[in-house]
Amino acid sequence: MREFWRGFSRNRTTVAGLAFFAAVALIAVFGPHFYPDGPFKLVAKPFLPPGGTYLFGTDMLGRDVAAGIVYGARTSLVIGLTSTFFAIVAGALVGGVAGYYGRWVDEALMRWTEIFQTIPFFIFAILLVAVLAPSVKSVILAIAVVSWPPMSRLVRGEFMAMRGREFVEACVGMGMSDARVIFVHILPNCLSSVIVTGSLMVATAILTESSLSFLGLSDPNLMSWGFMVGAGREFLQRAPWLCAVPGIAILLTVLAINLIGEGLSDALNPRLRQA
Amino acid sequence: MADRTEKVAEDIVADSGQDERFAIDRRRFIQASGLLGLSAGIAGVPFEAAWAAGEAAGDTPRKGGTLVMVVQPEPPTLASYNNTSGPIGQVAPKVYDGLLEYDFNLNPLPGLAKSWDVGADGKSVTFKLEEGVRFHDGKPFTSADVQYSIMEVLKKVHPRGPTSFQEVEAVDTPDAHTAIFRLKRPAPYLMKALSAYESPMLPKHLFAGTDLQNNPHANQPVGTGPFKFVEWRRGQLMRFDRNPDYWRKGLPYFDRVVARFIGEAQTRTAALERGEVAFAAYNAVPNVDAKRLSTSREVIVTTKGYEMDAPVVELEFNTTRKPFDNQKVRQAIAYAIDRKFVIDNIWFGYGKPATGPISSNFKGTGMYTADVLRFDVPNRMAIANKLLDEAGYPRKADGTRFEIVHDITPYGEEWRRFGEYVQQVLQELGIKASLRYEDVATWIRRIYTNYDYDLTSDWLKTFADPVIGVQRQYWSKAIRPGTPWVNGTRWTSPRVDELLESAAIEPDVKKRNALYHEFQKLTVEASPIVWVMELEFTTVYNRKLQDAIVSPLAVNTSFDRAWMKA
Repeated sequence: MREFWRGFSRNRTTVAGLAFFAAVALIAVFGPHFYPDGPFKLVAKPFLPPGGTYLFGTDMLGRDVAAGIVYGARTSLVIGLTSTFFAIVAGALVGGVAGYYGRWVDEALMRWTEIFQTIPFFIFAILLVAVLAPSVKSVILAIAVVSWPPMSRLVRGEFMAMRGREFVEACVGMGMSDARVIFVHILPNCLSSVIVTGSLMVATAILTESSLSFLGLSDPNLMSWGFMVGAGREFLQRAPWLCAVPGIAILLTVLAINLIGEGLSDALNPRLRQA
Repeated sequence: MADRTEKVAEDIVADSGQDERFAIDRRRFIQASGLLGLSAGIAGVPFEAAWAAGEAAGDTPRKGGTLVMVVQPEPPTLASYNNTSGPIGQVAPKVYDGLLEYDFNLNPLPGLAKSWDVGADGKSVTFKLEEGVRFHDGKPFTSADVQYSIMEVLKKVHPRGPTSFQEVEAVDTPDAHTAIFRLKRPAPYLMKALSAYESPMLPKHLFAGTDLQNNPHANQPVGTGPFKFVEWRRGQLMRFDRNPDYWRKGLPYFDRVVARFIGEAQTRTAALERGEVAFAAYNAVPNVDAKRLSTSREVIVTTKGYEMDAPVVELEFNTTRKPFDNQKVRQAIAYAIDRKFVIDNIWFGYGKPATGPISSNFKGTGMYTADVLRFDVPNRMAIANKLLDEAGYPRKADGTRFEIVHDITPYGEEWRRFGEYVQQVLQELGIKASLRYEDVATWIRRIYTNYDYDLTSDWLKTFADPVIGVQRQYWSKAIRPGTPWVNGTRWTSPRVDELLESAAIEPDVKKRNALYHEFQKLTVEASPIVWVMELEFTTVYNRKLQDAIVSPLAVNTSFDRAWMKA
């Protein structure tokens, strides 16, 4: 563990990223307690500039932008993490089975995966959300559906490489069940690359969610950063903070996650660790 | 893609010498055209000075040039005789003429009909048609075309035609230039429905006996109007060129009208500011930009020219299920909505508070009355809470009364904000509303086919007469599952049916107005709808553009008199 931390913290920016992400997570968990009326409450006159009673000013209807940021953090993290979780599970399952069994199973599953990969992922996500009507569930589903294929290809590659290794053959020789070989012996060995890729997928998922809600395809009952940018875009000349504040929030959060992902990659990749 | 569109449009604009960057060429061009105009006058070609009468000296209409207008969104078709989708009306009247035109008080003016005479019993209308009018393919326009357009097309396939022409039994054609409408009963609203926009006159020889919707001329219209259809480059533009044989001699002034389609709002605004586009109607420039541009030196922002639309923003209740089957609950919401807040902060000042089903736009005709139950009282929130208590929905321990779903109108940003605002207002009353957002087709099906909703918002045009625009929302016979923008609240009242039906055929103006006054009182009392505001559309146009807005149908007219100052 200590070794892991040494690898991880070798880069100071990684630590900064982790700190920022932790702050966002804290805001997402505890922030809403400070704004019990929710982010849609009309609290003051519209278009109050930042810095007064309201830290980030108010929007076109007189809603507190800071409240929007706090609730938006929750939306972004919940959607980013949940959709990535489902994408990883689906990707690992498909990739693992394909890589382990090979031959026609592999062929069938990979052709299936390719069907998803040939559709431009963002357009596919828009289509799914539009068809299913925007809600938290449909957005999570859409992001998970468009992001599992790369994960499945990665896991398949790892599995194919490990399938021929001695320890796997030993397991098979000892008569272990396929499920046990897959989940207990091979999967843990490719966990490091799954974690690194997964962490970057969270960043992509948050960006996708923001882009969808920028286009108005978000749950209308939830505040989200992308929605705030989209709604504020009309007022760019009059009230630039409506776009700038949530825009910067998206930027920094995604940057932080990318830094963490890089740190994880440094810490978990044994070849780099020795260097 | 956008670049390419721009390039193409620039080419078209440039070759008529109208672009800003060709300033010198343009000046020379103007001098030349001035000389041409002069020599044409000397040569005895009738020079149309009538339209310029009353203009200041030096404001003689200038011939030539291209008018580039932006139309948003791109029309789905050009078949204005069977589709009334907004953007179609902005282009089709350049090609098709109507029997009548209108002044700002909605009084008829001559169009293809140079004069008309309503019979003493109100059951016949005789139109004398202009002579020597030809369609763009050279064939003459006659009373047979009028008969065909009204009886075979508009009365059958136009969305509002069956209502407008419901009383028309036959159109007689005693000679080529006389058309007599035979009516079952008097139909005072009929005379308001004969514009080029509402009832285009089609060439019988090209349409008769064909499938109207799939006729090739649906999207390549041939009319009698001042501009000929040239081409439609999908996703980019439509082009209309001057009709040299237009029956109003000397008109139109422009050589060409180009309708451009620009999807992004900020790009549209910028195009107007740069002078690349000279005309944009129906809020193609968002209200917030229109407000900023209203002090600009380049463009003029106006709300004139929509008098025949008279649109009203509404909140519509499903009056057939709880809780909005209760009149007190509906009234409570009507009290709670702060109309001024909505106008100022969501539509940026472009609107007027609405008081009832008939827009104050009809003040001039005497149909409108403000003497109804008024919701804009100082203690309105207290009244609203009291009404909800009385209706049997007291606040529970957690402060809420009941929960509903509010369907947002899927028309864009301001509608979403309006939904968010309504949600907050309802919350103050203890009503927990969750918002639902669906695509337009699903939403229309939910409201007008399945009636599976609690509360939704929408805007409807009330048009030039209540029979055409208002009756459809309150008449029991207008509950037509599957037809959008009719009676979707399914609220009915025998007395209101009676009032609407007798007002529709009442030729006496005073009596008719009295019937509509009672109708307004009754419906406001029952509040099947919250009439929030009378929406004002904005048109933004270049200061050099003259005489574009000369009718209550503004953009939905032919632009035959419009011209561009040097």
